[in-house]
Amino acid sequence: MTLFSQAFRPVGSAKVDPVLIALWVSLILLALIWITPFVFIVFTALKSNATVMGASAFMPPTELAFENFAAAWWRGNFSTTAFNGVVITVIKVPLGLFISAMAAYALAKVPMRMNKALFALFLFGTMLPFQVMLAPIFRQVNAFGLINTYPGIILPYLAFGIPYQVFILYCFFSAVPKELSEAARIDGASHFTIFRRIFLPISLPVLSALLILDFVATWNEFAMALVILQDPKMWTLPLGLMSFQSQFSSDYGELNAATIMTVLPAAIVYLMFQRYFVAGLTSGAVKE
Amino acid sequence: MPQASQSARPERQGYVLLAPALIVYLLFAVYPMIDVVRMSFSSWNGLSPGANFVGLANYRAIFTQDPVFWGALRNTIWWTALAVTLPNLVSFGLALALNQNIPGKSGLRVVFYLPVIIASIAVATIWKWMYDPFFGLFNNLLMQFGLDGWILDWLGDRKVALWSVFVAHLWQSVGFSMVLFLAGLQGVSATLVEAARIDGAGRWGVFRYVTLPALKPTLMVVFVLSLINSLKAFDIVYGMTGGGPAQSTQMLAMWAYTQSMQLGVFGRGAAVSVVLLLITLVIVLPYIRWMFRREEMSR
Repeated sequence: MTLFSQAFRPVGSAKVDPVLIALWVSLILLALIWITPFVFIVFTALKSNATVMGASAFMPPTELAFENFAAAWWRGNFSTTAFNGVVITVIKVPLGLFISAMAAYALAKVPMRMNKALFALFLFGTMLPFQVMLAPIFRQVNAFGLINTYPGIILPYLAFGIPYQVFILYCFFSAVPKELSEAARIDGASHFTIFRRIFLPISLPVLSALLILDFVATWNEFAMALVILQDPKMWTLPLGLMSFQSQFSSDYGELNAATIMTVLPAAIVYLMFQRYFVAGLTSGAVKE
Repeated sequence: MPQASQSARPERQGYVLLAPALIVYLLFAVYPMIDVVRMSFSSWNGLSPGANFVGLANYRAIFTQDPVFWGALRNTIWWTALAVTLPNLVSFGLALALNQNIPGKSGLRVVFYLPVIIASIAVATIWKWMYDPFFGLFNNLLMQFGLDGWILDWLGDRKVALWSVFVAHLWQSVGFSMVLFLAGLQGVSATLVEAARIDGAGRWGVFRYVTLPALKPTLMVVFVLSLINSLKAFDIVYGMTGGGPAQSTQMLAMWAYTQSMQLGVFGRGAAVSVVLLLITLVIVLPYIRWMFRREEMSR
């Protein structure tokens, strides 16, 4: 009961506040509602189609139909889509962070005539919704002959990821005291050296927060992949799931197994690194 | 001469560091935005090498002949209006509650945030299954409680389909704003709250005169971010209804995609994109100016 011994008391009060208890109970109820969809899909994924159609929807599965996962893996071509997802994410995420960090350093610490204008240009990009202009992106990638290729999807992913990352890292680098870089410059170090030896190491916490956020965003991205990766051999997990959903929508157990396999990697990463998510999201948006 | 090269060199190094990010950004984000404007004044079918300049014909077509455009615009406006209010009210309430001294806060926060990291297309699949008219959760629940009369084809009935999709969106997006609000609440000075308490301010008084004013920047950020997010609603609609039934859940972002990529009329699709981009700019530019000023001030 140690967990509860100090709870429900407002700041600066020793008495238990009944309003807080009521609030807590309603939060728990709401959380149960929030988690219901997950429970429902896990239940369905473990049922055979006959059970899904025969028995009540809320009953936990009695005989666990794990074969749904194997079947969905095979029919949904998960080995291909998961492989593509890994290749694209593993290249895009670190590469994007690295070039964003370089740009952010230049904007924050190198005196250039165009600093302000360039920063404003990047800031503008943080708000540019690419879902609104899928066709021109397709056209541009097509002009480079990169439809259905890894570079063809990675380049636009980079382009729309860079502004936000530059913005966050710019804020971080700007807050680093001038003396740190100026001392190194007097010693004759170039900006490349200062960036690599001083600024990259000190920004590791921010970089890891951005890394986690960007991993999930890249892994989950659907709209851009839809227009650029049209060959099923190049599909990523969300595209595979969409196609599975439209082809096998009445194989309920398998469909839900496919959903679970699609979301599981991101969910695991989130549960492992949750504090980074909060740090990455809020460092830019809600800055004091 | 050495003097000049001495001062030019650091700047050049700066541009070298800047170049990769800038080039990729200009080529694959900024250029398409300019291209879409040009495309909206031309006719292109996606195959032929050239495009003809057609003036305002595409705009005239979407405004006067296109049977879907106005419905899609109306849906987008409704969706946006709801998306900036309903989920954020829930998020705000959750954040205020989770900011109190109650047990299990971090666990609760994880639960409410979990849907945010799920791929939208998976959210669509999950909810489509829950809405299944025969074996889905909702209709089974209604049957269980003897409310057979309320049973609906949630995604197949054009009167309710959009709202059914919206509920899924609400489930997914509440956690995002909640985290932003929670971060904002961390910035509310505890001393100020206590001082207000000592001066005899009640729960409402503290909220109204201490918490709310301190949250003003956060409210602004959440408002703009959810506005932008709702304009780009694409994945979830695509995955749940594909715009149907009878275009009743069609929205501008997806209509632009459908016209260009599926019907092959790139010019009209581009015109829809431009309309949507203009709406976005009207919202975003003042916000960016505000961010820019804040950034300048903090230096």
